[in-house]
Amino acid sequence: MMKRFYILGFLALIIFDTLAQVSFKFASVHAEPLAMDAAWLIRVFGAPWIYGAFVGYIGAFFTWMTLLKYAPVGPAFAASHLELISVTLISVWLFDDSLTWPKIIGGALIIAGILCLARSEDEAEKVVQADPSETLA
Amino acid sequence: MSQLTIILWMLNVIVDTSGQLAFKAAASASAEHDGLAHWKHMLKRPWIWLGVICYVFEFVLWLAFLSLVPLSVGVMLGSINIVVIMIAGRFLFKESLSKWRLIGIMLIACGVTVVGFE
Repeated sequence: MMKRFYILGFLALIIFDTLAQVSFKFASVHAEPLAMDAAWLIRVFGAPWIYGAFVGYIGAFFTWMTLLKYAPVGPAFAASHLELISVTLISVWLFDDSLTWPKIIGGALIIAGILCLARSEDEAEKVVQADPSETLA
Repeated sequence: MSQLTIILWMLNVIVDTSGQLAFKAAASASAEHDGLAHWKHMLKRPWIWLGVICYVFEFVLWLAFLSLVPLSVGVMLGSINIVVIMIAGRFLFKESLSKWRLIGIMLIACGVTVVGFE
Protein backbone atom coordinates (compact mmCIF):
# COMPACT_ATOMS: atom_id res chain seq x y z
CA MET A 1 0.00 0.00 0.00
CA MET A 2 2.76 2.43 1.02
CA LYS A 3 4.81 1.37 -1.98
CA ARG A 4 2.02 2.32 -4.35
CA PHE A 5 1.70 5.70 -2.58
CA TYR A 6 5.41 6.41 -3.11
CA ILE A 7 5.36 5.41 -6.76
CA LEU A 8 2.28 7.54 -7.47
CA GLY A 9 3.80 10.43 -5.52
CA PHE A 10 7.14 10.30 -7.37
CA LEU A 11 5.33 10.01 -10.71
CA ALA A 12 3.14 13.02 -9.86
CA LEU A 13 6.22 15.01 -8.88
CA ILE A 14 8.01 14.22 -12.15
CA ILE A 15 4.88 14.97 -14.21
CA PHE A 16 4.33 18.36 -12.49
CA ASP A 17 8.02 19.32 -12.86
CA THR A 18 8.02 18.28 -16.52
CA LEU A 19 4.80 20.21 -17.16
CA ALA A 20 6.38 23.32 -15.61
CA GLN A 21 9.54 23.16 -17.74
CA VAL A 22 7.76 22.34 -21.00
CA SER A 23 5.29 25.19 -20.36
CA PHE A 24 8.19 27.56 -19.64
CA LYS A 25 9.76 26.65 -22.97
CA PHE A 26 6.49 27.10 -24.87
CA ALA A 27 5.98 30.45 -23.10
CA SER A 28 9.46 31.63 -24.10
CA VAL A 29 9.03 30.49 -27.71
CA HIS A 30 5.66 32.22 -27.92
CA ALA A 31 7.07 35.49 -26.50
CA GLU A 32 10.00 35.70 -28.94
CA PRO A 33 11.92 37.83 -29.71
CA LEU A 34 13.52 38.12 -26.28
CA ALA A 35 13.69 41.69 -24.99
CA MET A 36 13.85 43.02 -21.46
CA ASP A 37 10.82 45.24 -21.83
CA ALA A 38 7.12 45.43 -21.01
CA ALA A 39 6.06 44.21 -24.45
CA TRP A 40 7.96 40.94 -23.90
CA LEU A 41 6.33 40.44 -20.48
CA ILE A 42 2.91 41.17 -22.01
CA ARG A 43 3.56 38.51 -24.66
CA VAL A 44 4.60 36.08 -21.89
CA PHE A 45 1.50 36.61 -19.77
CA GLY A 46 -0.83 37.01 -22.73
CA ALA A 47 -0.46 33.35 -23.75
CA PRO A 48 -1.79 30.39 -21.71
CA TRP A 49 1.61 28.63 -21.41
CA ILE A 50 2.93 30.56 -18.47
CA TYR A 51 -0.10 29.51 -16.41
CA GLY A 52 0.74 25.89 -17.18
CA ALA A 53 4.13 26.58 -15.63
CA PHE A 54 2.42 27.97 -12.51
CA VAL A 55 0.20 24.89 -12.24
CA GLY A 56 3.27 22.67 -12.62
CA TYR A 57 5.22 24.55 -9.92
CA ILE A 58 2.36 24.67 -7.44
CA GLY A 59 1.50 21.01 -8.05
CA ALA A 60 5.15 20.01 -7.65
CA PHE A 61 5.44 22.02 -4.43
CA PHE A 62 2.47 20.36 -2.73
CA THR A 63 3.41 16.89 -4.00
CA TRP A 64 6.94 17.43 -2.68
CA MET A 65 5.71 18.55 0.77
CA THR A 66 3.34 15.56 0.98
CA LEU A 67 6.05 13.13 -0.10
CA LEU A 68 8.55 14.56 2.39
CA LYS A 69 6.10 13.88 5.20
CA TYR A 70 6.12 10.15 4.49
CA ALA A 71 8.99 9.21 2.18
CA PRO A 72 12.68 9.12 3.09
CA VAL A 73 14.27 12.34 1.87
CA GLY A 74 16.97 10.63 -0.25
CA PRO A 75 14.74 8.94 -2.84
CA ALA A 76 12.41 11.95 -2.76
CA PHE A 77 15.34 14.27 -3.53
CA ALA A 78 16.46 12.06 -6.41
CA ALA A 79 12.95 11.82 -7.82
CA SER A 80 12.55 15.59 -7.67
CA HIS A 81 15.52 15.95 -10.04
CA LEU A 82 14.89 13.00 -12.34
CA GLU A 83 12.65 15.21 -14.46
CA LEU A 84 15.92 15.86 -16.26
CA ILE A 85 15.31 12.60 -18.14
CA SER A 86 11.63 13.17 -18.90
CA VAL A 87 12.20 16.81 -19.93
CA THR A 88 15.08 15.81 -22.25
CA LEU A 89 13.06 13.06 -23.94
CA ILE A 90 10.01 15.31 -24.34
CA SER A 91 12.23 18.08 -25.78
CA VAL A 92 13.37 15.70 -28.49
CA TRP A 93 9.74 14.98 -29.32
CA LEU A 94 8.19 18.48 -28.97
CA PHE A 95 11.03 20.89 -29.74
CA ASP A 96 13.19 18.82 -32.12
CA ASP A 97 16.12 18.90 -29.68
CA SER A 98 18.83 16.49 -30.79
CA LEU A 99 20.26 13.80 -28.52
CA THR A 100 23.96 14.53 -29.00
CA TRP A 101 26.79 12.68 -27.23
CA PRO A 102 27.70 15.61 -24.94
CA LYS A 103 24.07 15.72 -23.78
CA ILE A 104 23.86 11.97 -23.21
CA ILE A 105 27.20 11.76 -21.35
CA GLY A 106 26.67 15.03 -19.44
CA GLY A 107 23.11 14.06 -18.52
CA ALA A 108 24.23 10.62 -17.32
CA LEU A 109 26.96 12.21 -15.13
CA ILE A 110 24.44 14.64 -13.63
CA ILE A 111 21.97 11.83 -12.87
CA ALA A 112 24.78 9.77 -11.27
CA GLY A 113 25.67 12.83 -9.16
CA ILE A 114 22.06 13.28 -8.07
CA LEU A 115 21.88 9.61 -7.04
CA CYS A 116 25.03 10.10 -4.91
CA LEU A 117 23.48 13.18 -3.25
CA ALA A 118 20.29 11.20 -2.61
CA ARG A 119 22.39 8.52 -0.93
CA SER A 120 24.11 11.08 1.28
CA GLU A 121 20.72 12.53 2.31
CA ASP A 122 19.55 9.05 3.26
CA GLU A 123 22.61 8.47 5.43
CA ALA A 124 22.23 11.85 7.11
CA GLU A 125 18.60 11.05 7.85
CA LYS A 126 19.47 7.69 9.39
CA VAL A 127 21.76 9.46 11.84
CA VAL A 128 19.09 12.00 12.79
CA GLN A 129 16.24 9.55 12.91
CA ALA A 130 16.64 7.15 15.83
CA ASP A 131 13.29 5.52 15.07
CA PRO A 132 13.34 3.88 11.63
CA SER A 133 9.58 3.44 11.46
CA GLU A 134 9.36 3.79 7.70
CA THR A 135 10.94 1.74 4.98
CA LEU A 136 10.88 2.07 1.24
CA ALA A 137 10.94 -1.53 0.17
CA MET B 1 26.74 29.66 -26.05
CA SER B 2 26.55 33.41 -26.60
CA GLN B 3 27.73 35.92 -24.03
CA LEU B 4 24.13 36.87 -23.17
CA THR B 5 23.27 33.19 -22.57
CA ILE B 6 26.17 32.81 -20.14
CA ILE B 7 25.26 36.05 -18.33
CA LEU B 8 21.63 34.95 -17.96
CA TRP B 9 22.75 31.52 -16.72
CA MET B 10 25.11 32.99 -14.12
CA LEU B 11 22.49 35.52 -12.94
CA ASN B 12 20.02 32.66 -12.62
CA VAL B 13 22.48 30.70 -10.46
CA ILE B 14 23.07 33.78 -8.28
CA VAL B 15 19.39 34.60 -7.67
CA ASP B 16 18.42 30.94 -7.16
CA THR B 17 21.19 30.41 -4.60
CA SER B 18 20.43 33.72 -2.84
CA GLY B 19 16.74 32.84 -2.74
CA GLN B 20 17.36 29.38 -1.27
CA LEU B 21 19.79 30.77 1.31
CA ALA B 22 17.36 33.54 2.26
CA PHE B 23 14.57 30.98 2.79
CA LYS B 24 16.94 28.86 4.88
CA ALA B 25 17.89 31.92 6.96
CA ALA B 26 14.20 32.80 7.40
CA ALA B 27 13.32 29.26 8.50
CA SER B 28 16.22 28.89 10.94
CA ALA B 29 15.82 32.38 12.43
CA SER B 30 12.26 31.45 13.42
CA ALA B 31 12.97 27.84 14.34
CA GLU B 32 12.08 28.32 18.01
CA HIS B 33 8.46 29.07 17.04
CA ASP B 34 5.90 26.45 15.99
CA GLY B 35 3.07 26.31 13.48
CA LEU B 36 1.33 29.63 12.84
CA ALA B 37 3.72 31.52 15.13
CA HIS B 38 6.61 30.21 13.01
CA TRP B 39 5.05 31.70 9.86
CA LYS B 40 4.12 34.99 11.58
CA HIS B 41 7.66 35.39 12.84
CA MET B 42 9.12 34.61 9.40
CA LEU B 43 6.83 37.03 7.55
CA LYS B 44 7.95 39.92 9.79
CA ARG B 45 11.60 39.33 8.94
CA PRO B 46 13.35 40.63 5.83
CA TRP B 47 14.80 37.21 4.91
CA ILE B 48 11.67 35.63 3.55
CA TRP B 49 10.91 38.72 1.43
CA LEU B 50 14.42 38.73 0.04
CA GLY B 51 13.78 35.11 -0.94
CA VAL B 52 10.49 35.99 -2.64
CA ILE B 53 12.11 38.86 -4.60
CA CYS B 54 14.91 36.52 -5.73
CA TYR B 55 12.34 34.00 -6.95
CA VAL B 56 10.45 36.64 -8.96
CA PHE B 57 13.71 37.62 -10.67
CA GLU B 58 14.63 33.99 -11.19
CA PHE B 59 11.31 33.37 -12.91
CA VAL B 60 12.01 36.10 -15.50
CA LEU B 61 15.68 35.11 -15.91
CA TRP B 62 14.81 31.44 -16.44
CA LEU B 63 12.26 32.37 -19.09
CA ALA B 64 14.81 34.59 -20.88
CA PHE B 65 17.47 31.86 -20.59
CA LEU B 66 15.13 29.28 -22.14
CA SER B 67 14.50 31.57 -25.12
CA LEU B 68 18.19 31.22 -25.96
CA VAL B 69 18.97 27.54 -25.30
CA PRO B 70 17.15 24.29 -26.13
CA LEU B 71 15.08 23.07 -23.17
CA SER B 72 17.13 19.87 -22.73
CA VAL B 73 20.36 21.91 -22.47
CA GLY B 74 18.64 24.42 -20.17
CA VAL B 75 17.56 21.89 -17.54
CA MET B 76 20.98 20.21 -17.59
CA LEU B 77 22.88 23.50 -17.18
CA GLY B 78 20.41 24.43 -14.43
CA SER B 79 21.61 21.44 -12.38
CA ILE B 80 24.69 23.45 -11.37
CA ASN B 81 22.39 25.27 -8.91
CA ILE B 82 22.38 22.16 -6.70
CA VAL B 83 26.18 22.25 -6.51
CA VAL B 84 26.42 25.99 -5.76
CA ILE B 85 23.73 25.79 -3.05
CA MET B 86 25.47 22.87 -1.31
CA ILE B 87 28.82 24.68 -1.33
CA ALA B 88 27.18 27.90 -0.08
CA GLY B 89 25.41 25.90 2.67
CA ARG B 90 28.77 24.50 3.71
CA PHE B 91 30.23 27.99 4.24
CA LEU B 92 27.20 29.91 5.53
CA PHE B 93 25.36 27.30 7.58
CA LYS B 94 28.28 24.97 8.39
CA GLU B 95 26.51 22.08 6.69
CA SER B 96 28.74 19.06 6.33
CA LEU B 97 29.99 17.79 2.98
CA SER B 98 30.05 14.03 3.39
CA LYS B 99 31.89 11.65 1.06
CA TRP B 100 28.79 10.95 -1.05
CA ARG B 101 27.95 14.64 -1.27
CA LEU B 102 31.43 15.46 -2.55
CA ILE B 103 31.26 12.68 -5.14
CA GLY B 104 27.78 13.84 -6.20
CA ILE B 105 28.90 17.47 -6.48
CA MET B 106 31.89 16.49 -8.63
CA LEU B 107 29.82 14.26 -10.92
CA ILE B 108 27.22 17.01 -11.47
CA ALA B 109 29.93 19.62 -12.11
CA CYS B 110 31.59 17.30 -14.69
CA GLY B 111 28.22 16.59 -16.33
CA VAL B 112 27.36 20.30 -16.61
CA THR B 113 30.81 21.01 -18.09
CA VAL B 114 30.35 18.30 -20.73
CA VAL B 115 26.89 19.66 -21.65
CA GLY B 116 28.31 23.20 -21.69
CA PHE B 117 30.75 22.25 -24.46
CA GLU B 118 27.87 21.12 -26.63
